[in-house]
Amino acid sequence: MKNNNLKTYAKYFSQFIIAIAGLLVIIDFTIHRHAYFYLEEIIGFPAIFGFVCFVLIVIVGKQLRKILMRKEDYYDK
Amino acid sequence: MIPGLWMIIASILLPIIPHYFRKPAMVLSVFLSSLTLLNGFGTFLTWEILGFNLTLYHSDNLTLPFAIIFHLASLLVIIYGWHNKNMMENIATLAYAGSAIGALHAGDFISLFIWWEATALTSVFIVLAGNTASARNSAMRYLIIQVCSGVLLLIGASMMVYQTGNHELTKLDLSSNFGVFIFLAFGIKAAFPFLNGWLQDSYPESSPTGTVALSAFTTKLAIYALARTFPGTESLIWIGAIMTAFPVFFAVIENDLRRVLSFSLNNQLGFMVVGIGIGTELSLNGTVAHAFVHIIYKALLFMSMGAVLHRVGTTKASELGGLYKYMPLTTIFCIVGAMSISAFPLFSGFVAKSLIMSALGGQGLILIYFILFFASAGVLEHSGIKIPYFAFFAHERKTKVKEAPFNMLLAMGIAALLCIGIGVYPKYLYSILPYAVDYQPYSIDHIVSQLQLLVFAILAFLFLVKFNLYPSEIKSTVLNSDWFYRKMLPGIGKPLFKTLSFIINEIYSLIAFLFKLSLGKTKSFTQVHYIKVTSPGFAALVLILILFLMLLIAII
Repeated sequence: MKNNNLKTYAKYFSQFIIAIAGLLVIIDFTIHRHAYFYLEEIIGFPAIFGFVCFVLIVIVGKQLRKILMRKEDYYDK
Repeated sequence: MIPGLWMIIASILLPIIPHYFRKPAMVLSVFLSSLTLLNGFGTFLTWEILGFNLTLYHSDNLTLPFAIIFHLASLLVIIYGWHNKNMMENIATLAYAGSAIGALHAGDFISLFIWWEATALTSVFIVLAGNTASARNSAMRYLIIQVCSGVLLLIGASMMVYQTGNHELTKLDLSSNFGVFIFLAFGIKAAFPFLNGWLQDSYPESSPTGTVALSAFTTKLAIYALARTFPGTESLIWIGAIMTAFPVFFAVIENDLRRVLSFSLNNQLGFMVVGIGIGTELSLNGTVAHAFVHIIYKALLFMSMGAVLHRVGTTKASELGGLYKYMPLTTIFCIVGAMSISAFPLFSGFVAKSLIMSALGGQGLILIYFILFFASAGVLEHSGIKIPYFAFFAHERKTKVKEAPFNMLLAMGIAALLCIGIGVYPKYLYSILPYAVDYQPYSIDHIVSQLQLLVFAILAFLFLVKFNLYPSEIKSTVLNSDWFYRKMLPGIGKPLFKTLSFIINEIYSLIAFLFKLSLGKTKSFTQVHYIKVTSPGFAALVLILILFLMLLIAII
């Protein structure tokens, strides 16, 4: 159990986040959010936007490594 | 007394103060300087010299919030660096903060130029105090770029005096050629896209305390200068939007966590630049509020990484992880900073960023609005998750580490309290903004919208980690815009420069030979190397040529 501390925390944290996420979606159905642009008012739009953006950033970043990544001592040579 | 001058005087006297009293003296100088905040608005000190009327101390509604936060940041830096006995760094830090505060109160371009150069010349010693070979090289590049910004400002200011006979710090636009020079000078220090290389190059090279000082002043001084001279300049909206978006991708793959924070700093500046570009009262308030809270939470994040560097000896993500067990307080403070920068409701980032987003919405700039919305998810990725995750969690740590020293914890604690305090009671922050504020950040619409964005982004992170799609950290260098002057230009210039230096060397040796021959002391003609090609040296040469050309074009 001693070495599994981090894994247990991660599990609790994931459950907590999923619960909050679910709650936020439920709230979205019960109220009508006012925003500056119609797009943002669509139910669940910020949620989907956030999820997609995050995945996009990570994937694009990963691909960028092919172009931008050099060895650690690149500038020292 | 000009604000900040006490601090500069104290920095000069520091070596002769007994070492027990050095830190208290530093705090005292900040306190004395901060008394000027009570003077209210107006012009307090002018000086006539060489036919120029210099305004040395002018204060108004835009100066005040920056002056408050600069003093506060100076205090935090001193507390955080209480253990630091590096005399050069202490002197440089105090003089640097003092110069930045002095610059805020300059009322004309000539005195602004003097302070502008003073911040450059003092801060370079902070980078030097990093005390490694790479820090020293980085400091030379930093100096070249910062001085370049100063020279551009001087060119712009002198052309302005030449053409209009006026050197007051007033609104400018890009239709005049001096406006362009001054814009570029500010743009370098504000780390515009492609002018940003120096920031990510030098900040992570400094000492744990040095980076905190650096992160607070230079760039925010540039934001202040832009807000004063170029509000409502439309191109700033696009420049700012690009600034918020592109560092996000670099931050994902960067391994050094302090460099990740430097990219994040760049992204935050983008939000402020957008606010200046819109130029309405609401958006300028947003920019100032954002600069205010940003200095605190960015300092907090740099402090937490500095504490890690102090105890572990590295901030490379590939070598960290699992520190939560040994540095629990640092972990908590870091998470507070991370939540503030990610703009969680009840944290300071939320109440400031909302102003800029509302200004954008009010203007109907839908594309920019969603670029900044996207960038908000990006902030969460690199500063909100990556920094705390890789430093404190990620995997269990085998070797023990001590918690940060008390003074570091105290500085972090104060900063964390401020982050939460401003987030919960935004009205105190709003009351010092340049324009009257009638704004309520905590509406249910806004809270739900922002929380959805953030929580689902965290969900995306958990999802990516679960399926092993999140990129692991690799020891590497990530190319940035400093590549142009660190690799490309020297690559082109070296053959040319080698030939040139060869010819000069030959001439020198010949002269030396003839000289020695005339003294009758030498028998042989020996080749002596007088010139060595170095990248900073070459960069300086190229810069001088570029500036010379610019001046030539401007005069014609």
